[in-house]
Amino acid sequence: MDTLLSLANGFSVAFEPSKLLFCLIGVFLGTAVGVLPGIGPALTVALLLPVTFKLDPAGSLIMFAGIYYGGMYGGSTTAILLNAPGESASLATALEGSKMAKAGRGGPALATAAIGSFVAGLIATIGLAFLAPWLVELAIKFGPWDYFALMIVAFVTVSATFGDSPLRGLTSLFLGMLLGLVGIDKLTGQARLTFGVPELLNGIEVTTLAVGLFAVGEAFYVASKRWREPEEIIPIKGSLWMTKQDWKRSWAPWLRGTAYGFPIGALPAGGAEVPTFLSYSTEKKLCKYPEEFGKGAIEGVAGPEAANNASAAGTLVPLLTLGLPTSATAAIMLAGFQQYGLNPGPLLFAEKPDLVWGLIASLFVANVMLVILNLPLIGLWVRLLAVPQPWLYAGILVFATMGTLAVNPSPVELGMLFLFGYLGYLMRRYDYPVAPMVVGLILGPMAEAQLRRALQISLGDPMILLENPGSATLLGIAFIALVAPFVMKGLNRFKAAED
Amino acid sequence: MLTAILKRGAVTAVALAGLTTAAFAQLELKIMAPAAPGGGWDGTARSMQQALTASGIAKSVQVTNVTGAGGTIGLAQLIGAKGDGHQLMVNGFVMVGAILLNKSPVNLTQATPIARLTAEALVIVVPADSPIKTAKDLAERVKADPAKVTWAGGSAGGADHILAALFAEAAGGDPKKINYIPFSGGGEALAAMLGGRVTAGISGYGEFEGQIKAGKLRVIGVSASKRLDNAPDAPTLKEGGVNLELLNWRSVVAPPGLTDAQKATLSGAIDKMAKSKEWAEILKARGWDDAYLASAEFDAFLKAETVRVEKVMRDVGMVK
Amino acid sequence: MSRTIDRPALVVGLLLLAAAAIVAFDASRQTITSNYGVGPTAMPYVVCAGLVVLGLAHLVVAFKEGLPKPEVADVRALLWIGGGLAGLIACIALGGGFIIATAILFSCTARGFGRDALPADIAIGLVLGSAIYLLFLKLLTLSLPAGPLERLLG
Repeated sequence: MDTLLSLANGFSVAFEPSKLLFCLIGVFLGTAVGVLPGIGPALTVALLLPVTFKLDPAGSLIMFAGIYYGGMYGGSTTAILLNAPGESASLATALEGSKMAKAGRGGPALATAAIGSFVAGLIATIGLAFLAPWLVELAIKFGPWDYFALMIVAFVTVSATFGDSPLRGLTSLFLGMLLGLVGIDKLTGQARLTFGVPELLNGIEVTTLAVGLFAVGEAFYVASKRWREPEEIIPIKGSLWMTKQDWKRSWAPWLRGTAYGFPIGALPAGGAEVPTFLSYSTEKKLCKYPEEFGKGAIEGVAGPEAANNASAAGTLVPLLTLGLPTSATAAIMLAGFQQYGLNPGPLLFAEKPDLVWGLIASLFVANVMLVILNLPLIGLWVRLLAVPQPWLYAGILVFATMGTLAVNPSPVELGMLFLFGYLGYLMRRYDYPVAPMVVGLILGPMAEAQLRRALQISLGDPMILLENPGSATLLGIAFIALVAPFVMKGLNRFKAAED
Repeated sequence: MLTAILKRGAVTAVALAGLTTAAFAQLELKIMAPAAPGGGWDGTARSMQQALTASGIAKSVQVTNVTGAGGTIGLAQLIGAKGDGHQLMVNGFVMVGAILLNKSPVNLTQATPIARLTAEALVIVVPADSPIKTAKDLAERVKADPAKVTWAGGSAGGADHILAALFAEAAGGDPKKINYIPFSGGGEALAAMLGGRVTAGISGYGEFEGQIKAGKLRVIGVSASKRLDNAPDAPTLKEGGVNLELLNWRSVVAPPGLTDAQKATLSGAIDKMAKSKEWAEILKARGWDDAYLASAEFDAFLKAETVRVEKVMRDVGMVK
Repeated sequence: MSRTIDRPALVVGLLLLAAAAIVAFDASRQTITSNYGVGPTAMPYVVCAGLVVLGLAHLVVAFKEGLPKPEVADVRALLWIGGGLAGLIACIALGGGFIIATAILFSCTARGFGRDALPADIAIGLVLGSAIYLLFLKLLTLSLPAGPLERLLG
């Protein structure tokens, strides 16, 4: 009851006209920057910090939260329309979303992403309001061994992105893990595979690889076979809006995506990528039309987008309750709190209930604003695809390089973008899937660091992975996921033989 | 992922707002933060920008970010800008270690030292239910079996890591054998502490403050020479019987090859800034401790710190 | 050109083996080890082993069914787009600024996709680049790489 009362109080703060205005500015800015690849909410909030220095704390924090949620919405737009995932969390969305867009179903894809984000954001924010103190107790119990086991589950299920050849899928995955080795080793601080190039010390940027392989690679590929089989982009085919069938196929993925995203996002080292991968592979397994996966299945957009947004709300759980920043944006928001002399954590709820609950209530408001802002935009976005093909792809390439130019305009970084683009072309040409490579780059270093931390704590004893119930359970799930397909196949053959 | 999103920012509205005219008003400065927007060095650079323009010391100040390799990529660029009397770069303790670790071809001593600005004491904490109560308790454990004492802190070779090594040394243990686990970002290290995964944690006081006040973490020692103003209850390491001091300082340097006049202009401007009321306000708002050292003293300090860090990193085996 | 050997699969297999060799060589030269648990070379060797297996598998495939056979590519289109990207990088490296770089990339890509109106596309690229530059500067206070044109706008 206390929570409800506090929340009601929070809404009275959030509905003040000035707070509503800050929230609106936030969601608008967030959507705008979320659309730009490589420029996410974290950078925007960082740039606005000095500007908001003199503003009222509650107002500017509400604005930051609006930017955060807005950025998550905007990210899906470019992933779906231009096949340019601007951040690693929209990678899974791009897989099916861009296929849908090319087949004239960009409208439903954007709609299911927006509504899915709304549903996920709503549920996750309710979770944030009511479950935060309890969830955070659970989250900090998660040790390095548990994270490692979670990564293994993600690795095993990644085969959902492999396409039809395990050999080519695994090759792509391992090349991604190879790229993940480049740079300073987190645990010892020494350089690996940098060959004396200082720009490589920070490692390969996920966005550079993803934008290169996806957007640039695709431009090369489409151009290379232009004469033989000109690509046909259909801006709108059938309904611009989601059909009854689309709704029926979307609602369950939204809920499952939320169920992955919120708790994993609340984990201090959970992140947004793992839940989107898990959601993608779950939807592929459960989908009634598995043959559509790879050609534009709506479930593959609905699930990961919901997971992405729910994890954003999840990130706020450790930030507000413990002052733990677990994502780039959360780290900057923490700086935002501190600039007003506020320290998030258990004391903040007691000392400044108006501010905390006002912020949480604003998240609900931001979510509603976003869905109202985004749904009418869909018609406009989809029309972008009607631009003549030469200009469309020229625009996509300008867009793809712009992110790199804005955040790190070094020739080395741009050269890598070019190189990854050409690699993406070659991989498409010989039918290698590109997604596993990005997945390998994201998961490889995470899994390595967590395993090494676990073994450092256990002084080298690998049994620690099986002694802890959490990691043992997760590894069990991974094992079942790995062998189940083979067992099923064997059983089927057995049955067939009996018949 | 942080660096993926954050790499480079530039002029902020603050610079535009501060076009007041005053004594130094002709001065146009560029301050490079050799890290991503949002981090500590970037915060220092932008705060300097704010103070310099608001107090009218400089006409315009532009902040640029050069990301990478613990700031050594930025340093290399600064060393390359020989004789540029308008360029400054923010740096700090962490860069000294990064230079050694990354085998950087350029060195901090090649730059022209301008001033040390701020310093933050580090704090060693244990979970509230830990049997370790004092610095001495911890020292005894480290001495007995360094493997069993797991430390959580920031990046390898950073200030936290150096403090853990110095602590082991001061405790009479073998710094080569410390079990230091670097975490990415303060959040993860803090979670490991709260979850009781590690024996002790090291970070700047500010990062642990909320948890210390909430009684979830216990301070074993502060690495300053005297108790902190905002935490009078927390003992220093020295009081706990471990003779050790370490400050995570931030400073500002200029390119090499400056004329005496150029050098005097720059250090004069920074001297004025460090004594301005605008700067004092920023320090207070950000919770930074004033640790101003003028050019000559900072030069000597920097040389001494370089020697000390190099020795520790050799002791730990990070530099061979 | 033997009839039974698939050249692309052979090349991929050899490249994977070469990559594995580089990873192993780099790992063997690591000097700093971890005191406890596994060191910084463990993961490289895992990746290396994986690459060796995949490389050998590709060699086997090369003598069997081979990789999917692609159609003939339009090399001129590839060269135009590649040239546009190379032009962009050169322009940034030489300090030509964002707007000119964008115009180069935009017009070359449009040319690669079959539009035969280079001057018009260069003009579009310049306008597009200027708009983006101003948007970034004014809205986000983020300055994109500046060259002569940006200084005129700035």
